[in-house]
Amino acid sequence: MIGEGTAGAARLIVADAHPVVRRAVRISCDALPGLEVVGEADTGSALLAVCQELRPDVAVLDIALPDGMEAIRGLNDRQLVDIVVVLTDLTDGPSVMEALRLGVEGYLVKSSALPTVGKQIRRVLDGERVISPEVQRIAVRELGAFARMAREGSEVRATLTPREHEVLMLISAGLTMRQMAKRLGISPRTVETHMAKLYRKLDVRTRVQAVSRAVSLGLIELR
Amino acid sequence: MSKRPVAGHPGGSTSPRPLGVILVDPLPVVRAGTRLLIDDRPDMEVLAEAGSADEAVEAITRVRRTRVVVLVGLGLAGGHDAYWLIRTLRERYPTHAILGFGANADPTAISRALFVGADGFVDKNIDPVDFLQALRRAADREMVLAIPTASAVGQIVEGIERRREVEVKLTDREREVLVVAAEGLTARQIATRLGVRERTITTHLARIYGKLGVGSRLAAIRMASQSGLVSVGASE
Repeated sequence: MIGEGTAGAARLIVADAHPVVRRAVRISCDALPGLEVVGEADTGSALLAVCQELRPDVAVLDIALPDGMEAIRGLNDRQLVDIVVVLTDLTDGPSVMEALRLGVEGYLVKSSALPTVGKQIRRVLDGERVISPEVQRIAVRELGAFARMAREGSEVRATLTPREHEVLMLISAGLTMRQMAKRLGISPRTVETHMAKLYRKLDVRTRVQAVSRAVSLGLIELR
Repeated sequence: MSKRPVAGHPGGSTSPRPLGVILVDPLPVVRAGTRLLIDDRPDMEVLAEAGSADEAVEAITRVRRTRVVVLVGLGLAGGHDAYWLIRTLRERYPTHAILGFGANADPTAISRALFVGADGFVDKNIDPVDFLQALRRAADREMVLAIPTASAVGQIVEGIERRREVEVKLTDREREVLVVAAEGLTARQIATRLGVRERTITTHLARIYGKLGVGSRLAAIRMASQSGLVSVGASE
């Protein structure tokens, strides 16, 4: 699987559940000078392992893989590649927004982009952010809700004390009041006071509501 | 180009009330040009024009309409700039559609406009037909991004993300201090401006640097300006 490599060619890894898609990407890229597929993976975790080993320049992956989105986070956190390109048929609003928030350089839809995928990746390598037109429309639709969430979230967040924020994190991690008290080195009674204030600021009454509101405001992320 | 809106056809008895547009831009020539374009269409009309944020706030109080689009030129500068206006209108008129309006605006400016509550952004350089269509879509409560290169959407998302990261960390007061600091004032001058002691300002600044993970005022301002929290130099 390891290619010898033309000097200076951009090295790609393709992750997709379907061999036929991986093959299509390989054929499309190999037809172009300066692009070379050096490895393949069929899951997100396999992609991380292959990238760790081969250190490619570009990872092309389908976020419909069960651990696809997680793999992008892993690639980012461990700085394994310079460029991440999503090649998928998954175009629901939340997936599109999440991928864009993770800073992917390309978001290509298989059904329209697969025949020219090599050329699209070439454009990304030339510094363009390439997003399929149908995805752009979806992203714009989601953008308003995202901006609103970011605005409201930061307004609420600014009102929380560091302690209340800590308590919020622990609530979302599922700790009991007693466990929180122990973790923070304060009495359960004090935790209760922090929680009451937190609930008031979030405008909620229960733990579940607190977590769901905090998620919708982007204060915490459930992975 | 020759496309006529269906609503304007003769005999169209069901045609809704024209959509009302409020034009806010510091440049009279921009307002005049835009007005010509809008008033030429049967399904929309300009209700008011304003050359500053304060004039706009004043003019909008006299508007009695439900289907309203406010076009806010991002070139509005000063204490009450375009972003102040968008935020203010968003709070007071939740049902009005508010669109940022500018020429060659960078993604940071667009994300900043969206962050403070705009329902979209329209570039002055797009085709007139697309421009008018964007207004109609905005009036129908759709998010609108009418820009020459739509792939900027990724950069806009990043801009909002960065803005949130910076803003989430700072208190209102710290943000205020940073905005004034971006004007290049000394700690003493900032203190005078905000009516507090110099010592308080240096404490605020130190805390801001700590929260943003930077070592200098310049770095803090650079970060805040990349996130669109403050404007450095001329806007738009």
